Amino acid sequence: MGARENFTTDAMQYAPQLFATAMRMTRNRADAEDLVQETFLKGWRAFGSYQEGTNLRAWLFRIMTNTFINKYNAQQRRPQESELDDVEELFLFRRMGAFDQSKINQSAEDQMFQLFTDDEVKNAIEALPETFRIPVLLSDVDGFTYKEIAEMLDIPIGTVMSRLHRGRKAMQKMLYEYAKDRGLVDESLLDPQD
Amino acid sequence: MADCQETLNELERFLDSELSPVRVAEVIGHLKGCSDCQGAYEFHSELRTIIKTKAQNEDLPKGFLDRLLGCFGDEVLGAD
Repeated sequence: MGARENFTTDAMQYAPQLFATAMRMTRNRADAEDLVQETFLKGWRAFGSYQEGTNLRAWLFRIMTNTFINKYNAQQRRPQESELDDVEELFLFRRMGAFDQSKINQSAEDQMFQLFTDDEVKNAIEALPETFRIPVLLSDVDGFTYKEIAEMLDIPIGTVMSRLHRGRKAMQKMLYEYAKDRGLVDESLLDPQD
Repeated sequence: MADCQETLNELERFLDSELSPVRVAEVIGHLKGCSDCQGAYEFHSELRTIIKTKAQNEDLPKGFLDRLLGCFGDEVLGAD
Protein backbone atom coordinates (compact mmCIF):
# COMPACT_ATOMS: atom_id res chain seq x y z
CA MET A 1 0.00 0.00 0.00
CA GLY A 2 2.89 2.31 0.82
CA ALA A 3 4.19 2.12 -2.73
CA ARG A 4 0.77 3.00 -4.10
CA GLU A 5 0.44 5.96 -1.77
CA ASN A 6 3.86 7.19 -2.83
CA PHE A 7 2.85 6.80 -6.43
CA THR A 8 -0.28 8.88 -5.93
CA THR A 9 1.54 11.69 -4.14
CA ASP A 10 4.44 11.66 -6.57
CA ALA A 11 2.19 11.62 -9.63
CA MET A 12 0.05 14.51 -8.37
CA GLN A 13 3.01 16.87 -8.20
CA TYR A 14 3.31 16.63 -12.00
CA ALA A 15 -0.34 17.50 -12.64
CA PRO A 16 0.28 21.21 -13.40
CA GLN A 17 3.11 20.43 -15.87
CA LEU A 18 1.08 17.70 -17.53
CA PHE A 19 -1.93 20.01 -17.81
CA ALA A 20 0.07 22.88 -19.37
CA THR A 21 1.57 20.50 -21.94
CA ALA A 22 -1.84 18.93 -22.56
CA MET A 23 -3.20 22.44 -23.26
CA ARG A 24 -0.52 23.02 -25.91
CA MET A 25 -1.10 19.55 -27.38
CA THR A 26 -4.89 19.66 -27.60
CA ARG A 27 -5.27 23.47 -27.86
CA ASN A 28 -8.45 23.11 -25.87
CA ARG A 29 -9.17 23.27 -22.14
CA ALA A 30 -11.78 20.51 -21.95
CA ASP A 31 -9.68 18.13 -24.07
CA ALA A 32 -6.57 18.95 -22.03
CA GLU A 33 -8.38 18.11 -18.81
CA ASP A 34 -9.63 14.81 -20.30
CA LEU A 35 -6.15 13.97 -21.54
CA VAL A 36 -4.52 14.42 -18.13
CA GLN A 37 -7.29 12.46 -16.41
CA GLU A 38 -6.90 9.64 -18.90
CA THR A 39 -3.15 9.71 -18.32
CA PHE A 40 -3.65 9.33 -14.57
CA LEU A 41 -6.20 6.55 -15.02
CA LYS A 42 -3.86 4.65 -17.32
CA GLY A 43 -0.93 5.27 -15.01
CA TRP A 44 -2.90 3.95 -12.03
CA ARG A 45 -4.01 0.86 -13.92
CA ALA A 46 -0.49 0.21 -15.18
CA PHE A 47 0.95 0.70 -11.71
CA GLY A 48 2.04 -2.95 -11.67
CA SER A 49 4.42 -2.33 -14.55
CA TYR A 50 5.86 0.79 -12.95
CA GLN A 51 9.02 0.13 -11.01
CA GLU A 52 9.74 2.43 -8.13
CA GLY A 53 12.88 4.40 -8.74
CA THR A 54 12.30 4.76 -12.47
CA ASN A 55 11.59 8.23 -13.76
CA LEU A 56 7.92 8.71 -12.90
CA ARG A 57 7.73 12.09 -14.61
CA ALA A 58 9.02 10.70 -17.93
CA TRP A 59 6.75 7.67 -17.53
CA LEU A 60 3.65 9.88 -17.12
CA PHE A 61 4.60 12.16 -20.02
CA ARG A 62 5.15 9.10 -22.17
CA ILE A 63 1.68 7.80 -21.34
CA MET A 64 0.16 11.21 -22.03
CA THR A 65 2.01 11.69 -25.33
CA ASN A 66 0.99 8.27 -26.60
CA THR A 67 -2.59 8.76 -25.45
CA PHE A 68 -2.71 12.05 -27.32
CA ILE A 69 -1.20 10.59 -30.48
CA ASN A 70 -3.57 7.60 -30.49
CA LYS A 71 -6.66 9.56 -29.55
CA TYR A 72 -6.19 12.35 -32.05
CA ASN A 73 -4.47 10.25 -34.71
CA ALA A 74 -1.61 12.67 -34.50
CA GLN A 75 0.84 11.70 -37.16
CA GLN A 76 4.34 11.16 -35.91
CA ARG A 77 6.11 8.83 -38.25
CA ARG A 78 5.90 10.53 -41.59
CA PRO A 79 5.81 14.31 -41.41
CA GLN A 80 4.83 16.13 -44.53
CA GLU A 81 7.89 18.08 -45.47
CA SER A 82 5.64 20.76 -46.89
CA GLU A 83 4.02 21.27 -43.50
CA LEU A 84 6.64 23.80 -42.46
CA ASP A 85 8.39 26.45 -44.48
CA ASP A 86 12.13 26.34 -44.25
CA VAL A 87 13.27 29.25 -42.09
CA GLU A 88 16.79 30.65 -42.17
CA GLU A 89 19.19 30.02 -39.29
CA LEU A 90 19.14 32.40 -36.30
CA PHE A 91 15.98 33.97 -37.74
CA LEU A 92 14.86 35.98 -34.74
CA PHE A 93 18.34 36.84 -33.46
CA ARG A 94 19.23 38.41 -36.79
CA ARG A 95 16.12 40.57 -36.65
CA MET A 96 16.33 41.86 -33.12
CA GLY A 97 17.72 45.13 -34.47
CA ALA A 98 14.36 45.77 -36.14
CA PHE A 99 12.49 46.03 -32.87
CA ASP A 100 11.58 49.66 -32.42
CA GLN A 101 12.96 50.56 -29.00
CA SER A 102 10.72 53.61 -28.69
CA LYS A 103 7.66 51.35 -28.67
CA ILE A 104 8.97 49.01 -26.02
CA ASN A 105 8.74 50.62 -22.60
CA GLN A 106 10.77 48.22 -20.55
CA SER A 107 14.12 48.14 -18.86
CA ALA A 108 16.83 46.42 -20.86
CA GLU A 109 16.79 43.35 -18.64
CA ASP A 110 13.23 42.23 -19.09
CA GLN A 111 12.76 43.77 -22.53
CA MET A 112 12.72 40.47 -24.36
CA PHE A 113 10.57 38.87 -21.70
CA GLN A 114 7.94 41.58 -22.20
CA LEU A 115 8.31 41.62 -25.96
CA PHE A 116 6.25 38.49 -26.51
CA THR A 117 3.02 37.94 -24.63
CA ASP A 118 2.07 34.62 -23.03
CA ASP A 119 -0.60 34.14 -25.69
CA GLU A 120 1.86 34.77 -28.51
CA VAL A 121 4.28 32.16 -27.17
CA LYS A 122 1.42 29.68 -26.69
CA ASN A 123 0.05 30.39 -30.17
CA ALA A 124 3.49 30.04 -31.77
CA ILE A 125 3.79 26.54 -30.28
CA GLU A 126 0.21 25.56 -31.00
CA ALA A 127 0.49 26.67 -34.63
CA LEU A 128 3.21 24.07 -35.27
CA PRO A 129 2.09 20.86 -37.00
CA GLU A 130 1.91 18.00 -34.48
CA THR A 131 5.03 16.26 -35.81
CA PHE A 132 7.04 19.32 -34.78
CA ARG A 133 4.90 20.58 -31.91
CA ILE A 134 5.22 17.47 -29.74
CA PRO A 135 9.04 17.26 -29.80
CA VAL A 136 9.28 21.04 -29.21
CA LEU A 137 6.92 20.79 -26.24
CA LEU A 138 8.72 17.82 -24.73
CA SER A 139 12.10 19.53 -25.09
CA ASP A 140 11.60 23.29 -24.71
CA VAL A 141 8.74 23.22 -22.23
CA ASP A 142 9.25 19.96 -20.35
CA GLY A 143 13.02 19.60 -20.62
CA PHE A 144 13.29 15.99 -21.77
CA THR A 145 16.47 14.78 -23.46
CA TYR A 146 16.70 13.79 -27.13
CA LYS A 147 16.91 10.15 -26.02
CA GLU A 148 13.82 10.38 -23.82
CA ILE A 149 11.84 12.09 -26.60
CA ALA A 150 13.01 9.52 -29.16
CA GLU A 151 11.78 6.74 -26.86
CA MET A 152 8.46 8.45 -26.15
CA LEU A 153 7.73 8.99 -29.84
CA ASP A 154 9.46 5.85 -31.10
CA ILE A 155 11.51 7.76 -33.64
CA PRO A 156 15.33 7.97 -34.11
CA ILE A 157 17.30 10.60 -32.16
CA GLY A 158 18.36 12.24 -35.44
CA THR A 159 14.71 12.72 -36.32
CA VAL A 160 14.07 14.33 -32.93
CA MET A 161 16.92 16.74 -33.54
CA SER A 162 15.81 17.75 -37.02
CA ARG A 163 12.20 18.24 -35.93
CA LEU A 164 13.31 20.36 -32.98
CA HIS A 165 15.54 22.44 -35.23
CA ARG A 166 12.87 23.10 -37.83
CA GLY A 167 10.10 23.53 -35.29
CA ARG A 168 12.05 26.06 -33.26
CA LYS A 169 12.91 28.14 -36.31
CA ALA A 170 9.28 28.16 -37.43
CA MET A 171 8.27 29.23 -33.93
CA GLN A 172 10.75 32.11 -34.00
CA LYS A 173 9.35 33.27 -37.31
CA MET A 174 5.84 33.25 -35.88
CA LEU A 175 6.93 35.25 -32.84
CA TYR A 176 8.49 37.79 -35.17
CA GLU A 177 5.32 38.01 -37.26
CA TYR A 178 3.21 38.54 -34.13
CA ALA A 179 5.49 41.39 -33.02
CA LYS A 180 5.29 42.84 -36.53
CA ASP A 181 1.49 42.67 -36.40
CA ARG A 182 1.56 44.62 -33.16
CA GLY A 183 3.67 47.33 -34.79
CA LEU A 184 6.79 46.65 -32.73
CA VAL A 185 9.00 46.10 -35.75
CA ASP A 186 10.52 48.64 -38.08
CA GLU A 187 12.22 46.66 -40.82
CA SER A 188 13.97 49.76 -42.16
CA LEU A 189 16.18 49.48 -39.08
CA LEU A 190 17.60 46.18 -40.31
CA ASP A 191 21.08 46.24 -41.72
CA PRO A 192 20.57 45.39 -45.43
CA GLN A 193 23.41 42.85 -45.35
CA ASP A 194 21.51 40.84 -42.77
CA MET B 1 39.24 25.90 -30.49
CA ALA B 2 35.92 26.05 -32.31
CA ASP B 3 35.31 28.86 -34.80
CA CYS B 4 32.15 31.00 -35.05
CA GLN B 5 30.37 28.80 -37.59
CA GLU B 6 31.05 25.61 -35.64
CA THR B 7 29.94 27.27 -32.44
CA LEU B 8 26.69 28.58 -33.93
CA ASN B 9 26.01 25.18 -35.50
CA GLU B 10 26.34 23.54 -32.10
CA LEU B 11 24.54 26.22 -30.11
CA GLU B 12 21.23 24.39 -30.18
CA ARG B 13 22.69 21.13 -28.85
CA PHE B 14 24.75 23.12 -26.35
CA LEU B 15 21.56 24.75 -25.03
CA ASP B 16 19.91 21.32 -24.98
CA SER B 17 22.82 19.98 -22.86
CA GLU B 18 23.36 17.31 -25.49
CA LEU B 19 27.03 17.91 -26.37
CA SER B 20 29.90 15.76 -25.16
CA PRO B 21 32.06 17.28 -22.39
CA VAL B 22 34.86 17.85 -24.92
CA ARG B 23 32.56 19.79 -27.28
CA VAL B 24 31.04 21.71 -24.36
CA ALA B 25 34.53 22.84 -23.35
CA GLU B 26 35.26 23.93 -26.94
CA VAL B 27 32.03 25.90 -27.23
CA ILE B 28 32.59 27.59 -23.86
CA GLY B 29 36.19 28.34 -24.86
CA HIS B 30 34.95 30.08 -28.01
CA LEU B 31 32.11 31.96 -26.28
CA LYS B 32 34.55 33.43 -23.76
CA GLY B 33 36.58 35.06 -26.49
CA CYS B 34 33.84 36.01 -28.97
CA SER B 35 31.27 38.62 -28.03
CA ASP B 36 29.18 38.00 -31.19
CA CYS B 37 28.69 34.32 -30.41
CA GLN B 38 28.28 35.13 -26.72
CA GLY B 39 25.43 37.47 -27.74
CA ALA B 40 23.80 34.75 -29.83
CA TYR B 41 24.11 32.33 -26.93
CA GLU B 42 22.58 34.76 -24.43
CA PHE B 43 19.74 35.59 -26.81
CA HIS B 44 18.77 31.97 -27.38
CA SER B 45 19.20 31.07 -23.75
CA GLU B 46 16.82 33.87 -22.75
CA LEU B 47 14.38 32.92 -25.51
CA ARG B 48 14.29 29.36 -24.12
CA THR B 49 13.46 30.69 -20.67
CA ILE B 50 10.71 32.90 -22.09
CA ILE B 51 9.15 30.07 -24.09
CA LYS B 52 9.29 27.63 -21.19
CA THR B 53 7.90 30.09 -18.65
CA LYS B 54 5.10 31.46 -20.83
CA ALA B 55 4.07 28.12 -22.31
CA GLN B 56 3.71 26.67 -18.81
CA ASN B 57 1.74 29.59 -17.43
CA GLU B 58 -1.64 27.91 -17.18
CA ASP B 59 -4.26 28.06 -14.43
CA LEU B 60 -5.66 24.68 -13.47
CA PRO B 61 -9.42 24.28 -13.97
CA LYS B 62 -11.45 24.59 -10.80
CA GLY B 63 -11.63 21.29 -8.90
CA PHE B 64 -9.23 19.67 -11.34
CA LEU B 65 -6.82 18.26 -8.75
CA ASP B 66 -9.73 16.71 -6.83
CA ARG B 67 -11.00 15.09 -10.01
CA LEU B 68 -7.51 13.75 -10.67
CA LEU B 69 -7.32 12.27 -7.18
CA GLY B 70 -10.51 10.44 -8.08
CA CYS B 71 -8.52 8.62 -10.77
CA PHE B 72 -6.70 6.78 -7.98
CA GLY B 73 -9.84 5.21 -6.50
CA ASP B 74 -9.93 1.48 -5.74
CA GLU B 75 -12.85 0.98 -8.06
CA VAL B 76 -10.59 1.77 -10.94
CA LEU B 77 -8.32 -1.18 -10.26
CA GLY B 78 -8.86 -4.05 -12.61
CA ALA B 79 -11.47 -2.06 -14.49
CA ASP B 80 -9.76 -2.83 -17.75
